[in-house]
Parts: sequence; C-alpha cells; structure tokens
Amino acid sequence: MPDRASGPARGFERRRFLQRSAAFGGGALLAPLAGATQAQAQAGSDLLVIASPATPQGLDIEFDVSLGSIDSLGALYDYLLAYDTIADPKAPGVMREDTGVHPDKPYGLSLKGRLAEHWQVAPDGRKATFTLRQGVRSNWGNLLTARDVKWTWDRKFHLKGQGLFQTAVLGLHSPDQVKIEGDHVISFNLDQPNPLLLKQQCNLANPIYDSTKCAAAGGSADPWAVQFLKNESAGFGPYRLRQLVRGQQAVFEARDDYWGPTPAIKRVIMKEVPTSPSRLALLQGGAVDIAQFLQPRELHALGGSASVAVDAVDASYAIWLELNAAMKPFDNVAVRQAFNYAVPRDEIIRTIYYGYADKQTAPMPYIYPMANESYFDYDLDVAKARALLKQAGLDGGFSTTISYNAGDPTQEPIALLIQTSLRKVGIQATLDKLPAGVFYEAVTSRRKPVIFYLDSPWTPDPGYSTYLYFNQKSYVDYSNYKNPAVDALITQGLATLDDKARLQIYNKVQKQLMSDAPWGFLAYPKYTLARKTGLKGFTYYTSNNLRFQDFRHA
Amino acid sequence: MGLNGRWRFFARSLAVRPRFAVGYGLVALAVLLGLFAPLIAPYSPIEANSRAFLQPPGPAHWFGTDSVGMDIFSRAIYAPRIDLTIAVLGTLLSACVGTTLGALVGFYSAGRGPRAWLCNSVMRAADVLQAFPVFVFAIALVAVLGQSIQTVVLAIAFVNMPIYLRLMRSQVQGIRSMRYVEAAQVAGVADHVILRRHIVPNAIAPVLAQLSVNVGWGILLTAALSFVGAGVRAPTPEWGSMIASGFQNVATGQWWPSLFPGLSLAVTVFGFSLVGASIEAFSDPVRRQDLAAAMERRAARSAGRQLVKAGI
Amino acid sequence: MRVARYLLQRLAFVLPQLLGIVLVSFLLLKSIPGDPAVLMLGPTATPDAIAGLRAQMGLDKPLTSQFVLYVGHLLHGDLGTSWQTTRPVLDDLLQRFPATLELVTFSLILAIAVGLSLGTLSALRPHGWVARAVDLYGLAAGALPDFWFALVLIFVFYSAAHWAPAPLGRLDISVIAPATITGFLTIDTLLAGDLEAFRSAVAHLVLPVLTLGLINAGPIMKMTQSTMQKMLAADASRYEALCGIPERLVVRHALRNALPPIITIISVLYGYLIGGAVLVEIVFSWGGAGQYAVQGVLNSDIYPVLGFVLFSAVFSLVVYIIVDLVYVLLDPRLTH
Repeated sequence: MPDRASGPARGFERRRFLQRSAAFGGGALLAPLAGATQAQAQAGSDLLVIASPATPQGLDIEFDVSLGSIDSLGALYDYLLAYDTIADPKAPGVMREDTGVHPDKPYGLSLKGRLAEHWQVAPDGRKATFTLRQGVRSNWGNLLTARDVKWTWDRKFHLKGQGLFQTAVLGLHSPDQVKIEGDHVISFNLDQPNPLLLKQQCNLANPIYDSTKCAAAGGSADPWAVQFLKNESAGFGPYRLRQLVRGQQAVFEARDDYWGPTPAIKRVIMKEVPTSPSRLALLQGGAVDIAQFLQPRELHALGGSASVAVDAVDASYAIWLELNAAMKPFDNVAVRQAFNYAVPRDEIIRTIYYGYADKQTAPMPYIYPMANESYFDYDLDVAKARALLKQAGLDGGFSTTISYNAGDPTQEPIALLIQTSLRKVGIQATLDKLPAGVFYEAVTSRRKPVIFYLDSPWTPDPGYSTYLYFNQKSYVDYSNYKNPAVDALITQGLATLDDKARLQIYNKVQKQLMSDAPWGFLAYPKYTLARKTGLKGFTYYTSNNLRFQDFRHA
Repeated sequence: MGLNGRWRFFARSLAVRPRFAVGYGLVALAVLLGLFAPLIAPYSPIEANSRAFLQPPGPAHWFGTDSVGMDIFSRAIYAPRIDLTIAVLGTLLSACVGTTLGALVGFYSAGRGPRAWLCNSVMRAADVLQAFPVFVFAIALVAVLGQSIQTVVLAIAFVNMPIYLRLMRSQVQGIRSMRYVEAAQVAGVADHVILRRHIVPNAIAPVLAQLSVNVGWGILLTAALSFVGAGVRAPTPEWGSMIASGFQNVATGQWWPSLFPGLSLAVTVFGFSLVGASIEAFSDPVRRQDLAAAMERRAARSAGRQLVKAGI
Repeated sequence: MRVARYLLQRLAFVLPQLLGIVLVSFLLLKSIPGDPAVLMLGPTATPDAIAGLRAQMGLDKPLTSQFVLYVGHLLHGDLGTSWQTTRPVLDDLLQRFPATLELVTFSLILAIAVGLSLGTLSALRPHGWVARAVDLYGLAAGALPDFWFALVLIFVFYSAAHWAPAPLGRLDISVIAPATITGFLTIDTLLAGDLEAFRSAVAHLVLPVLTLGLINAGPIMKMTQSTMQKMLAADASRYEALCGIPERLVVRHALRNALPPIITIISVLYGYLIGGAVLVEIVFSWGGAGQYAVQGVLNSDIYPVLGFVLFSAVFSLVVYIIVDLVYVLLDPRLTH
C-alpha cells in the first residue's frame, strides 16, 4: 500500500508541453501537398524512420520521462512481465495490451513472462517469487541473473528519483524486501498484500538493468551508473543504442543476441523535428514512416490520403480541469457540480479534437479494468447548473480564472469554448495563459482556482489511479480533494487481491468521486499514430509509447 | 496666424496633399470603430460559437469565423479599442517621461560638476537600454509583470522612452544656446520657467511628429507580442493575437482568420504614419512654405478655371 | 597607431557598457517567475531534490552574489545551461547565431540595394511620381507587420504558386547539412562543393530575405533620399552639373559624400535586426538565435536569453566600432 507517493510515473511531463511550446504559434504553413524535393524515403524494409518532437534527453527513466526517452525505453530494455496483446476491437490492425480482469487466469491477469519465466504469488499476497529466464544476454554480453533485478530495485531506493514512487506504491520501505533467492530467483516481500505487485513489473518505469556493466562503467565514483545510463543503455531489450545526437537524432539497431524473436525492424532512426507541421510534411512526402504527435487538425487533414494512415486508439490519456477545493467557491460541491454541467464536452470533442477524443466519464482512464462510466451525469445542462449555483447561494454567478498551458495548442481553444458556456450560467471566467514552465509550477503549487491538467497514469489499475489523484496524501492530488471515507476505500482496495471485492470497492469510490466532482471532467484524447500505410504492427501500451520491435513493413 | 487661420491652412493643405487626408481619415476611422464598435459589430467579439467554426467569408460572417467560431469582422473592429488604447497610452507615457528627462538633461548637461555628471549617467543608462534587443526586452517585461494590458503599455513605454529622451535632449541643446534663452538667464528668470516657457515649446515640434509614428509602432509591437503569446489575454480581440490563432489554419486552407486582421493592422498603422508625415510637414518651416506654395498654385488654377468657364 | 589608440579608447567604454547590459538583463530576467530547479528536475522531483539543486545552482544566494557568480562563469566562457535543450548555452548559440546572421546579412544587402537605388532616384526627381511612390512605399513598409507579410508571401509563392519551398527551415529536410565552417549555409555548401545543398539553402532564403529586406529598406531609403537631396542641392554638386559633368557622375560623387549618415543607419539596422528578425525566424522555423531567446523568455529559461542579449550587444558594439573605424580611416577630419 503506498504510504507516500512522491510523484507519479506517467507519460505527460513538462517535456511534453515543452515540445509543444517549441511548436509556437506560427510553425509553418503548408498546403496538403508534399514539398517537391522531399522524396528521399529510404525505406528499406527493415529501416524505420520516425519524426519525433524530441530526441531522448536522457535514457535513464529514473530522471527523465521525456517523450523521446519513453519511446526508446521499451526497445532498449526488457521487463520481468508484460501484458498479453489482443486485437483492438475499435481500431483495425492495431494490437493493444490486455489489461482487463481475467478471473480464469492466474492472479486474474493476462500476463506473459518476459525476463521472468515463472512467477508465483503466495496465497497471503505478501510474497511474489520470480524465476528468471536463463541464457538471456544484455547488449553488453552479460547474462541475466537475480543480481540484476536486485541491483535495479536497490538503485531506486538509493537514487530517490522516479524510483521512490515505484517503491512506495508497492509498499517497499527497505531494499531488504527484495531478496535474491537463487542465481535466477528473486522475491519481493511485502508487509501487506498488494494487488499491484505483478502489474508493476510490466510498468515502463521498471526496466531491468545489466548490473555487471553498470558497476563496471560507474566504478566507485558512480556506483549507480548515473552518468553512464544517461547516455547509454545497459539492458536486455531487443535494441541497442547506436548513436545519440541530442537535438538531432537517435539511432537504434536490433541485437542479434536478443533472447527473444529478432525484430523485423533492424534499424531505427528517430529524428528530432520540433514542429508538428514539419513532421506532417515529412510523412506526407514519404521521408519518414511515422510522424509523432500531430495536432488533431493535422490528423483530420490526412484523412483522404492513400499513402498515409492514422490509427487512433482509446488511451490512458485524460484531460481535465483541477477545481481547487481549497479555494472558494470550489470548496462547495454544488459549485463544482454546476461547473461540470456547464462544460460543452461534445462541442470540444467535435471542434478541437475533430473526433479524436471521447468524453471523460470516469475519474480514471476509461480503458482501465473496473473503470465505471455509468456514474457520469454531467452532460451539458445549463438549467441544472443554474439551479445548483442557486442552491449554493451564488445565484448571481461568480468570477474566477481558468489557467492553461501556453505550450499546448489545444488548451486555449478549449478554454475559450468553456468560457463562453460558463457565461451562460453566470460564471465569469478570465483566461490565464501561463508559459510552459510557469504552468507546471502553478499546477504543483495548487494556487490557481481552475487549471488544466493532462496526464496518463501508467499502471492500469483503479487503485493506482485513484490513489494518485484523489488520496489526500498523494503529491499529485492537485485539486486538494480531501475525503477520508474515499481515502479509506481506496487504501482498502489496495490491500486485497480479491478482484470481486475490489470491483465493489472501486465502484463505490467512483460513484462518490463523480458525485463530489473534484475535477471539471473534459475528455479522453486518443493516442494517435500517423504512419505510412504499409507500416504494420502498431501496438498500444498504457504508458503511451512506441516499441520498435512491434513494427514491420508490409 | 490665429486659430481660424491655422484650421483653414490645415484644411487647404489636405486638399493639396491628398495622402494626408487619407491618413487622417484612416486614423479617424480606427478611432470611430474603437468607440462605436458595440453599435456596429454584428456579433459579440468574445462569444465562441462552435457550430459556426471556420466558416469562410460569406453573407452571415463578412470576414468569416475562426477556429472557435468567433466572428472575425466583429473582432477586427473591436480590436482598435485594445490596440489603440495600448499604443496611445504607451506612447504618451514614454513621451512624457522621455521629453521631461530629455529637456532636463539637455539643459543641464553643459559644463562640469555633479549635474553634468548626472546627465551623463542618464545618457549612458539610455545607451544600455537601447542596446537591448527591443523585442526580447518587451517580452521579458511582460513575463516579469504578468500578462495584462497595463504591462503591455509599460513595455511599450519603456522601449520607446530613449527615443524621446535623445530627441528632446538634442533639440534642447540646440535651443539652449539661443540668444533669447541667454537673455532670460541673465534677467534672472528661474530655470524651470525658462524651460517651460521658452525652450520646450520651441523644441516640441519633432516630438509631436514622432508621436504619431510611435503610436503606429506601438500597435505593431502589441501585435508582435500577442503573436508570440506575450500580449493581451485571450479572448480579447487584438489584431496580433488574431493573426497568431489563425496562423495554424492557413495550413489547412483557411486564410481568412489571419489575413483580415493583418490587413486592418497594416492599414491603421499606415494611417498613423501618414499623420506623422503631415505633422512633420506642418512643423518644418521649409516644408510649410512648400505647402503654402502648393496651395497658392492650386488656388490660382481653380481661379483660372473659373475665369475660363465665365468665358473671359 | 592612431587606429590602435582609437580602438583602446572605444573598448574602454565598451566594457562597462557590456557589464551594464548584463547587469540589467540579469536583474530583469531573474525576476521572471518560474523556479529553474523545478523546471530542470521535472514533475517527479521531491522537495529535497529541488532544494539540493537550488543550492548547487546557487539560487538560494542573494542576487548580487548570483550575478558575481554568473560573471565569473562568463569569463571562463560558460554562459550557463538551457534547461530546455539541456545543452550549454554557448553551444546552442554558436549553432543558432550564424543562422540569424546569414538571414539578416542577406536581408540587409537586399534592403541596401532597394533603399539606396530608390532613395537616390527619388532625390533626383523630387517632385516626380517616383518620389511619391517611394514615399508611399516607405510608409507602407513601415506599417506592415513583418510576420504577417511573411505569411502573405508564403501563401502567394508557396501555397498558391508552388515556386518557393516549404517554410520549414534553412534546408530541405532530405538534404544533409555540410560541415560547419562559417555557419553560413550558402558559404559552407559552396566550400564543400555540394551544389544541391547550395541551391536548397538559397531557395529557402528567398522568402524570408524578401520579407525582411523589403520591409527594412524603408529607413535606408528615407535617409538616402534626404541626404542625397541635400548633397545634390549643395553648391559642389551644382557646380559639377554646371561644368557639364554627366549626371551619373554627379550622383556618384554626391552619394559618396552622403554615405556617412546612411552607413550609420545601416549599422543601427544591422544591430537591431539580430533581435528584430525573431518573428520571421519563427514563421519560417529558421532555428535562429532570436527564436531561441524568445523561447527562453517564454519558458523561464533565462540563460539562453542572457546569452543572446550578450551576443547581440557585442555584435552591435563591434559593428559600431568597425563603422567608426572606417570613418576614422577615411575621413581625416575626424582624428583631429
């Protein structure tokens, strides 16, 4: 059970809105025709070229979760476990992680072993033992042993970066709780049962390092190889880093000595192209196979193209407004509910997202197991909003501000639509544009009444997600929501492995949360991939990243 | 010449130099639009109407609509309120501070001693201020003070102040050595009276010409600041931010959200430049003579035509 | 000898001026809200980590000591690090400054060509239609917002006519940049013998240079016009004309004498454009230094901005000194 969350591990970070702020207002203008001299697409069938907003700043997940980094991690490193993949029912040709509840499968999860060949959890749920695969070599030639897993988790305790959260969320308070039981056997020993124990082994934030190489590279001066791992990888994944020129490109190549099946893509070039119109142009011109993070408007413009396809999948992203419960009048639940009734979600999805989003109907990503969308009642209803405000004694309305991130081009138009709609209800909202850096500080310092937030938790678990955002001890409870009853329920659900019981608990939690409306619920933006039509194999992960080994050219 | 005479001179010079007339007309148009926008605009300038987003120019929306459905024509004619207010206030502020400082510096900078040293330091400080990349300085000011109309006004004032400082200083230095000033000093008239009554009125002419041009620059700077996102807040109608929000849409073929605001902006600034040129023409005695000569020629021509018509 | 002494005199003024500029910028930029430690470490940072980094960066010290620290680093060539690019500011600027310089230099050449010729023409026939058109052009050029004009040009020459390449930087994305020698793509591609890259660099320069050149020709034109008018009306030119010297030569002589104030305007413009080309850089995704600085201010990344201010101030001062030196060498009157 997490006793202290120091920060979430998830996809959206300052780098994300940083890269968007690099796009600026006037990146470039293009007609939907390719530039004449673009046609340099050196598409051999085993080369993958990606136009990315940024190259990895650092390759060490402990300190860097920027976009380029998370896209490389899944290829450079391997994990103890992974979810099985199934075909996405809504997106033809796309695979996705099977994160649902499977009562017929061991421990209720549909998992496959990666670095771990066998695993078992003791009946009381307090110990998980993993038997590692043998003969697995790292990209430096060292064999995988239990020492590597121990070293990986010890590192989290010592460096106190991202890892601090990973340990806290499992209830690990001491490195001694991760025990080497044999050359290839390792166990996690918890004080209390924790349903996240297996799920966290799939989390992108827990790659296994080659400790032999790291110790050698860091020496006594840098025992945790901080400097080394920033620029290099030492892991058991299917790719190795070939070249990293920050600001320009990163090159990866497939390993012959990878323990698993050799990937179809042998070489990956990730080019840094900061503005989305440029990425769009490159894709249309055939110079790249994938253009990442295009605007909804640009995706829409790609609609009729024969050479380019857009995959849009239901994702773990959500965008919402934090309604600061510590500031009047948002300390009154009726006011928060009124606010929600005044948000024009359908309009936002239609005009800003061009349909590449769904309404946010739950306090967690709708793709998560046990997510319950039935408690959502806040479709646009001006009359109800007015009535609630009257009930709160604010018949004449009130004034407030909506703070948004200047670096995210979708937030200002969304704020504009909401502002107009709020006016009809009597709420006068002034728009407060914040540059990317200041925006981020404003969110964490919780000093604005209403502020946007865009995020995705990485572990598909209702307890993980609700603890993160709503438990009053969580660092990420940016809305200042405090409900001890809900806290108790969330914590209870994180201390049992009984899925039926958890379902009941989290239904109660979600019902209460939707009624308490700590957020202005907005939308679930889809994860989109704009790619060449011939590129197959796209697989969606809850951590919202690409893994090069999935792809192949048809 | 007398007030009446001055107005007649002005009116006739407009006839002789039609471009001045155009300038005054444009400025008057901008001011009128700013004042009467609520009566003229067909839609509210801050009402987002997603049902009508990105409509091309047509009978319902003369300039089309932008990406959240706001009417561009209404916003374009509301924009002068903001742009003009900011530019005029900023310019006046910089002119007041700059000319006062400039007059003082120009008057006291002669000789040695602590006062001259102070004047020197003020000029050095102005040097430093002017060595700053203007645009970056303005954005930094707005970033420090927060984004609002007041801070944009301050940014414009700061950036333009050295111009007036230098202008006034060089003017005053020139006039200071004139006989009548010496005479007043010998007669024991107090310094500030000399400044107020003798020096400033004679030095002010180029400053006035500069004012109008500066208002034009102020509008451009406001637009530029809004374009990068450091100007007025959304959804305040302002030409620069309208251009910025429409920029992305040109890629998908919708040119109208950026074109019309830019055109309105350019035309208004053009008007102010013309007005500035006219003031310059009026205040420079040589050019005033040119104007007078042109007016005589015109009067003579029309008199001649009348004679011809009368059949003489 | 004369030159050396003059240079020393000027430099003696320059250094305190530079220091003043750095001080003012430092104080201004440090006032921008946004904690650099939080920005660098990101959202998952613990309060301890933040406090540690702040101490390491010296952010807990008073501003004056921070300034002294900064100047100390400066003297060692360390302009600080940008938290956005995570690279040293000096490296970033050395990469971007030549891009801006190339753009500004070519634009200025165009502006000089247009300004000098139109200014001279209108001075020759002060009441002709050319003079009037030139006046209007001057006023119009000063009224157009450069970012909007760039948009119009892009729309006409790229979107509609497909003549110009896409406004996505200095080179076609498929073309590989040559080895950096001067940083000017036009020169470096020629030095490397890469004609295709040269053509691409020139093609990408066309629209932004047109934008900046046409708009900034105005001040040069006006100064040329007024100075030439005075020169042509002066006794020396009238005497030449009376003597039957062809107009072409009269004009040339007058122009030479009219040069000093024109050169002053050009030098002022040069210095101004380094920072003033920002909006055009943004529109064309140029990757220039001004764009870098603006991004810095907007994202509370102050070392890039400080570095840029320093670079552009030094540049302006160097230009002024060179211009004054040229005068000193050419005009014997100035040294006495």
